[in-house]
This record gives sequence, C-alpha cells and structure tokens, in this order.
Amino acid sequence: MIPENLKYTAEHEWVQLDGDRARVGITHYAQDALGDVVFVQLPEVGTAVTAGQACGEVESTKSVSEIYAPLSGEVLARNETLDSRPDLVNQDPYGEGWLIEISAAGAAATADLLDADAYGQLTAQA
Amino acid sequence: MAEFGGWEMPIQYSGVVEEHSAVRDAVGIFDVSHLGNVEVTGPGAKEFVNSCFTNDLDRIGPGQAQYTLCCDDATGGVVDDLIVYHGTTDARFSAGFAGMHLVPNASNTPEVVRRLRAAAPGGIEIKDQHEDFAIVAVQGPKSQQALGDVGISIDLDYMAFTLVERDGVRVVVCRTGYTGEHGYELVVPSDAVGPLWDALLEAASAHGGRACGLGARDTLRTEMGYPLHGHDLSLDITPVQARCGWAVGWSKPAFWGRDVLAAEREAGPRRLLWGLRAEDRGIPRPDMVVRSAAGDDVGVVTSGTFSPTLKIGIGLALLAPPVAEGDQVTVDVRGRPSVMRVVKPPFVPSHVRP
Repeated sequence: MIPENLKYTAEHEWVQLDGDRARVGITHYAQDALGDVVFVQLPEVGTAVTAGQACGEVESTKSVSEIYAPLSGEVLARNETLDSRPDLVNQDPYGEGWLIEISAAGAAATADLLDADAYGQLTAQA
Repeated sequence: MAEFGGWEMPIQYSGVVEEHSAVRDAVGIFDVSHLGNVEVTGPGAKEFVNSCFTNDLDRIGPGQAQYTLCCDDATGGVVDDLIVYHGTTDARFSAGFAGMHLVPNASNTPEVVRRLRAAAPGGIEIKDQHEDFAIVAVQGPKSQQALGDVGISIDLDYMAFTLVERDGVRVVVCRTGYTGEHGYELVVPSDAVGPLWDALLEAASAHGGRACGLGARDTLRTEMGYPLHGHDLSLDITPVQARCGWAVGWSKPAFWGRDVLAAEREAGPRRLLWGLRAEDRGIPRPDMVVRSAAGDDVGVVTSGTFSPTLKIGIGLALLAPPVAEGDQVTVDVRGRPSVMRVVKPPFVPSHVRP
C-alpha cells in the first residue's frame, strides 16, 4: 500500500518528483483515517508555498485536515477534477486523487522527506 | 472506534456516505447500546415522571412512547432529551416494560437518575438499568422486512412499542428512531444481543443494507434537523430556543423549568435554532461564527456536516432575531466566509410516518 517510488512526510503527504515538478497527494493511510472526502480546498496556481506550512484542506464527512506543503516552491497545477470528484482522494490516492504540483529544484528538494520504508514504520507505530 | 459518552463506539464500518445511503435507500442497523435505560416504578410513577419532564404524558397510554425533555428547574436549560416508554403492569398489554421506561443519552443518564431520585416521593423506585439492556436500531424503508426476516413480524404505529419473544429472548420493539426513516429500536437484554445483531446484519445485507456507525447516525439526524444533546441542546440552551416547544406540555401545572420557560416563551427567546444550507462549497462545523449580510455576529453553529443526500454543507445554528427564514448569512469557515441560507429543517423529507 506504500509505493516505493514516492517520498513521504510525517503529515501523510506523498511526493512524486518528475524533473523540476513535484506532484503531491495524501497517502492511503491518510485517506483511510479521514473517511469519505467531500471537499478539497487547494491553493491557486502561482501561489508560493512553504515546506511544513498549511496550504489547503481536505474535508471529510467526519473532520477537516490541513494539507501541508511537503516542500517550498510555486504551485504549478492543481487537480481541478477534485472539485466535482473529491472521492477520488479515497478511490485512488496515489493516482487520480493527486492534489497539486509544485516547482521543485531537483532531487535536493525532496532529500529531507521520508522514503517508503521510513513512512511505513511511522504508520505502523500509529 | 471512538470514545462517546464513556462508551467505545464505532464511528463507521464501511464509510459514512455508504452507510448513510443504506439507511435512506434500504436499511441500516446501529448498535446504540450507549443509550441509557432507566425504569421508574411504584404507585404514581406516571404522575411523578409527568411532574418532572416537559412533555405531557397524559397524551399517551400503555404501549406508546414520547419524546420529552429533562430541564433544570432554575434555568430551563436542558439536562437531557429522552424518550419515555409508557409501560404497564396490566397483563392485557404486552408492552414489555412494567413502569415508565426512560431512554436518556449515554453520558446524561447518571444526572437524570440523580435528579429523579432527589425529587421522588416515597414508594417510587428508580432503577438504572444502563448495562442490563442493549439497544439495536433498525432504520430505513426496508426495516420492517428485515425484522420480518429474523422472525419479528409486526405492524406498529409511529412511536408505539410492543413485546415480542424471539428464541426465548424478550425483545421490546419500538417504532422510534433518529434518522427520519421508517424504523425501529429494539431493547434487548445485553447478554442476548449478540445472536440478534448477527441475524439482523444478515437480514439487512439481503435487502442491500449494512451496519452503521455514529458518523452516519450524525449525518442522518442532521439532515432531519434533530437536535443532539451537547450540541443543539444543553444546560445553556432552553427548549424554547431550540424550537422544542412542541415537546412541552405548557398547560401542565408543573414540570421542571416551567416558570422560567413560560416567561421566556412569553417574552420571546433571545436566539432560535435554525437550519443553515450552504450556497457554496463551505461546510458548517460546530462553534463557527455566523454573521449577517451586514457583517454583524448573529450567532454560532451548533451542528454541521456534509449532507450525503444533498451533497452540500448543512448545519444547525443558534441565531439572534431578527435573523429569520430565507435570510442569507455568512459562516466563518476557518477564515473563509461561506454563504448560507437560513432555513427551517428538515433538509430532506421525513419518512417516519408512511
């Protein structure tokens, strides 16, 4: 359930680095804990986000959780489909349920993030 | 699982939206054994209970249930809202309860019992049977069929109850609920509930139903505008403010809080419980501030959720006059103003009376 090719944060976001673009979503573990996602609020394209700072919200029938930027950069794209299909975050958290893409300056940008093993240990303890 | 009123409760089994839809479209079963069970017996038990709680027990007879409120005598604030089941010792009725059987909310049961005992005259016995009974709610348009499938074939009027025997177990079946659908609540001895739950779950599944948790119970009751104690009713909120005057026997000579509530009703409450219906993507949540079109604080959200039926945010809020039905207000959703319409619940049609 924890893809090996992604990086993770302790706040349950995943990051997929593709050149200088980093695609961001929330993990399977996070969507399962949240329950049915009914609303996703994402930052506008062009917004500067800072690593560790809240940049959006995922709201479920049960609660609201903040989305923390896993790295600093500019928002290059957001998943507009979630506006009408917020449930994609539950159905396909690592695929069609992605949230935003942030500009990232190469592999160094994700150096501080967790790998799949470390994230797996984190969620096993929880 | 989550702690709720001192009980370990399932928030969800398969997902709130799925469980919610099962109740609206088919049938859902809920373990609501956290609800209290209190038996009031002895000569004059009915008169005693009627002199404490707000609703007029003389409106019902053996085999009927009534929604009522236990208020603080000095402030009129709501100690608890509960159901009174009018039992009987008359052998011609098989109602299942010997006296006035109360079903209060989990965490309020000790306080309701304490207040009753403090006021009870000699000869009245008040028994806290909280852990003696389990309660299973069977709710939804297929609820009667699901009960029939487990050998409980009945045809009850809304708010009526009767005793049935299933596999040697005494089950009190009540046409009550908290979902707005045709449904039942089954009061069963705790040690015998397991097999009944399993049988009901199997029967419900055959009708497209499923087990439901507290999450769906909350979205279902919010769609109906039913208040939840601790949110829309509390010691700080009176029945007049919460629009529960229909559950008050105003012409009764006595009940706890009568004087202060009658005065508030006469003067007009300083705030009223309204429904909020989002006109954008906002979802109201408890404690969010409500502002008028002019930007003034006019009240606070007491309950709020995403409505799985309407696919929008809905909520209940205590709002000060002159805010009234049809007004547009804004709710401060974590710093973002969300536009909502003031409405009178229910948000979706009730189906409790076919």
